[in-house]
Amino acid sequence: MIAAQTATEVGGQLLIVSVMVGAIRSGTSIFYAALGETISERAGVINVGTEGAMLAGALSAYAVTAETGNPWFGVVGAAVVGGALALLHAYLVIARGANQLANGLVIMFLGLGLTSLFGASYVSREINGFKPIAIPGLSSIPAVGDILFNHDPLTYLSFALGPAVWFLLFRTRWGLLLRGAGERATVLSSYGYSPEATRYIAVGMGGLLAGIGGAQLSTAVALTWFENMTQGRGFIAVALVIFASWHPLWAMGGAYLFGAALALGPELQVRNVGVNQFVLDALPYVMTLVVLIVLAKRSFQRAPEGLAEVFDAPPVS
Amino acid sequence: MTIMETPPRDEVVVVMETPSAKRGSDITRRAGGWALAYLGALAVFGAFMAVKGVNPFTAYRAMFESTLLDASSLSEVLIKAAPFLLAALAVAIPARGGLVNLGGEGQIVMGGVAAAGVALVFEGQMSSGLVMVAMLLGAVIAGALWAALAGVLRVAAGINEAISTLLLNYIAIDVLLYLISGPWKDRAGFGQLASKPLADETRLPTIGSDGRIHLGIFIAIGAAIGIWFLLRSTTWGFQLRVAGGNGEAARRAGLPVAKLLLSGLVVGGAMAGLAGAVHFAGVEGQLRPGMTFGFGYIGFLASWLAGHHPIRIAGAALLLGAIAVGGDSLQIDSGLPAASVNILMAFVLFAVLGKNPRLAGASR
Repeated sequence: MIAAQTATEVGGQLLIVSVMVGAIRSGTSIFYAALGETISERAGVINVGTEGAMLAGALSAYAVTAETGNPWFGVVGAAVVGGALALLHAYLVIARGANQLANGLVIMFLGLGLTSLFGASYVSREINGFKPIAIPGLSSIPAVGDILFNHDPLTYLSFALGPAVWFLLFRTRWGLLLRGAGERATVLSSYGYSPEATRYIAVGMGGLLAGIGGAQLSTAVALTWFENMTQGRGFIAVALVIFASWHPLWAMGGAYLFGAALALGPELQVRNVGVNQFVLDALPYVMTLVVLIVLAKRSFQRAPEGLAEVFDAPPVS
Repeated sequence: MTIMETPPRDEVVVVMETPSAKRGSDITRRAGGWALAYLGALAVFGAFMAVKGVNPFTAYRAMFESTLLDASSLSEVLIKAAPFLLAALAVAIPARGGLVNLGGEGQIVMGGVAAAGVALVFEGQMSSGLVMVAMLLGAVIAGALWAALAGVLRVAAGINEAISTLLLNYIAIDVLLYLISGPWKDRAGFGQLASKPLADETRLPTIGSDGRIHLGIFIAIGAAIGIWFLLRSTTWGFQLRVAGGNGEAARRAGLPVAKLLLSGLVVGGAMAGLAGAVHFAGVEGQLRPGMTFGFGYIGFLASWLAGHHPIRIAGAALLLGAIAVGGDSLQIDSGLPAASVNILMAFVLFAVLGKNPRLAGASR
């Protein structure tokens, strides 16, 4: 199939272009989840169960698409199921006082169990998922067209969602309330608002977006379902939120950085450059640690105050 | 969604919210609350099984019989529980100093990697007993160092250890995958990613007729008792708690707070490393991808389930071990995927985590 290639160019595409195409392709599901986690953490609730919500979203989208033939119904199903798992998390940590980190892990295991139980019959099913849509005109711009304007509809949606969530959080009254719930819940309640209700909504939105992220993975990128297919992307999203200092647009950049690292290995292999994939896989995590060291205290000063309570656990007897 | 309204959990609240009740009846009520919580978890999972067309009563009966009434599955429960127990100690020790170790997963992997590395170098060079000791020691050191990375970041740069240990998990897994896909790849391994298998005489010694109860189980029990003693009866255990409680006060009292916190993470990491070695040299015999998947997180939950108390942790590890083995029964006896047992585990844990009356209303 591949006969004559130069070391840098395959199918007329430069390595950098292929990697950037791949960065967006495999970074988008992580971006959705990170965006959701940003909203949730801004309201003061960390949800490590994002991994579970993504998995549940991936299966729901796949199953609904397989049954109805329409991937958009799948996206709705994924959003509902992801949101429901997140609301369960919200209920247990807000109303029942469960530890946020521990309960998040349980949500992850629940997602794993549920998708294993209900996913078994979809393992070998084929679906008619999302296909890339080239935007007329724009997609023929050299390089940029390939990178930005030849994607599945959920990716285009995510381009709009990043700025939209930024606007919601930082330029609307509701965003102010949401961030208030994460910073000084008491102030919110003294003005007659319910920090609890705000948190429920924020955590639910987080799960909804994580579910859509899972949907993008199963119905637009992988076009298949297998057990535990998210393989840690939800955890990556949680780490990414800190990397991005709880900012939606930084989360976008961070997600594509992770995506680029995931895409670099296969692209190099196609070009017969031998690099161990797992070394490349480790890069984003090492980078995140380095960024945390560089930003160190500055980064954590930007953390919502409500979150600090979760991280600074009291000692146990 | 039905999960939102599990009735037994409401019962627990009623029980927990009556502090003035007499002590005797309080205990009976609390035991009743626990029983209802567990029954509730069984009921929810039973409902899910019924949706999938499996009779929950038949499935539970098969699960019970083949997990607890069968000698070989009972040993399987102990084998599964041993690394869970060690992984939970890795959480409980730092928790004593107010630290959150989410990195058991990676510390376990590094322990397994170190044990395998020691075996690759020394197998055949020394007596098998010495190789075994070296493997366990190597794993303890590797787990401790991996946790120390997060500890140093915490005390030197103020980076939260929950985040850094979570990130280090993925780096550890990539280290494992790199080694078994490159330098340590078993040439005779039929193209599968795995390291060279341990020689039979370097595997941990076993007892019993089926030869599966291995030394690691006793190491885990010994570790739990040792850590219980360390935390309860030594100055270190006391100081760790003070340092984690009020760092400023501890500093003024002359305690080396940074060193104490670091030591908590290091000792915890050592336990996780040991878990990796025990599973590697007692069960697997070779490194392969995902061989300890979830152990660190299950350990984290076992520690929470037991209130971070080393002896109670042993009980929690046994319970979670039994649930994990129950998953195998689901697959064999009822034709459901083994991983679906995670649903049952999740609802047991929800019932326990969600009964925190002291903090209810607060968001933690």
